[in-house]
Amino acid sequence: MAIVKQQPIQQTSVDERQRSRDLPGLIAELEAEDPAARRWAARDLSEHPSSVLALVGRLKCENDSSVREAILTTLTCLGDKAAVAGLVECLRSEDVALRNEVIEAMKQLPEEVAPIMGELLADTDPDVRIFAVNILESLRHPLVESWLIGVIQNDSHINVCATAVDLLGEVGSSSSREALKSLKSRFPDDPYICFAADLALKRINED
Amino acid sequence: MAQITISEEDFRKFREFFYRKTGIQFEETKRYFVDKRLVERIEATHSENFRNYFMMLRFEASGLELQALVNLMTVNETYFFREEYQFKCLVDSMLNDITRRKKDNTPIRIWSIPSSSGEEAYSIVIYLLEYWPGIEKWDVEIISSDIDTDIIARARRGQYTPRSVQHLPSALLKKYFQPQAGGYQLIDDLREAVEFTRVNLMEPADVRAYRKFDVIFCRNLLIYFDDLSRRQAAETFFDALNPGGFVCLGHSESMSRISSLFRVRKFPEAIVYQKPLGDK
Repeated sequence: MAIVKQQPIQQTSVDERQRSRDLPGLIAELEAEDPAARRWAARDLSEHPSSVLALVGRLKCENDSSVREAILTTLTCLGDKAAVAGLVECLRSEDVALRNEVIEAMKQLPEEVAPIMGELLADTDPDVRIFAVNILESLRHPLVESWLIGVIQNDSHINVCATAVDLLGEVGSSSSREALKSLKSRFPDDPYICFAADLALKRINED
Repeated sequence: MAQITISEEDFRKFREFFYRKTGIQFEETKRYFVDKRLVERIEATHSENFRNYFMMLRFEASGLELQALVNLMTVNETYFFREEYQFKCLVDSMLNDITRRKKDNTPIRIWSIPSSSGEEAYSIVIYLLEYWPGIEKWDVEIISSDIDTDIIARARRGQYTPRSVQHLPSALLKKYFQPQAGGYQLIDDLREAVEFTRVNLMEPADVRAYRKFDVIFCRNLLIYFDDLSRRQAAETFFDALNPGGFVCLGHSESMSRISSLFRVRKFPEAIVYQKPLGDK
């Protein structure tokens, strides 16, 4: 036996699809029994922006993590308003893993997520507001600090503020100083808030 | 412009951030190396100080500056037997694991990407021929791909500088190379053992036909990608591998930070990433 030379890669030789690769065919394939077929359909749908609803629908009930990952990557690649709206829907899911995956996906879409960030940070559900702050952790956007300042100035929920102040410890500048001091006076009896605000102030002063 | 300095706190913040984004960890001993490059980029971007630069780096939507910094912080150099412990792992552990499970006599398939000028793919051939007894029983196919057609042409020519072969034992250099003006020429038998192809890893149409591999070497490429591209690359590898197949990344790269598709597999020689056996 030996090192053998492979025949030139042929584009069609190993295509084992059951359906055509057009939009209806790929959407139908999202429901295939074989996870590999669903994964490939999800990947190929990155060329079809109108597939967002089908992708989000599948994402909500998909149990195979590799297919979920492919769907989320495709939604991130599409990255339009509809895709972001679909991701936001999934933020409200009871499935913790799905929520975390969606948060990671949304971090990749700063320009698309920015217009709805105000809405997310004002959501009636404090959990959604916390997830919005989690998204800010790695969102490459110049308004991150302003949004966080808004949270610690206005949000009435202590856990939302605690999440935001943690992040301000990392990204806060002198612009956050007054809001951090006010936060301590808003929650004077909470030792964690006072500790985190002091730590953030210390770091800002060191800078 | 005033003299730009990087404080202890700046270094600590940068190091944490850079690790989160790239998986590359700088020890204290690299402080001079890191500071020098940071100052270079702070000046090049006309940032006033570290703080302004760091904010830009974190929040710039395009991620272009992060990319520029990654390029500067990584040394892109390839040579024969680079990160040799993974080739040892290939012949002492991975291939044995694969052949134990293999139910037919089809060739074992190895994909090396990016090919660059061919040193990695040819190192694999040499390692298999020299150090893997299984080569007596099994056929092996080695495909090596790159996006750059010029570099592929160079890989096919198989001409190397003394620097490129400096880590090869002299017996192997003598056996597989012929001296020529300014360097060495790889012998034809080895040149013909590798199939070089042009592939853009980010292009689904390019990678669709790359399937049924047992091992993928993709070292020191993903550090140059953004997060989304890394995920896409991970998905491509997942679909390109047979169940139980392995991905080998560079020593500073971690698949666990990119995707949850693979399982970490710790062999005595190296940590690699395995497609779960149950996944098609």
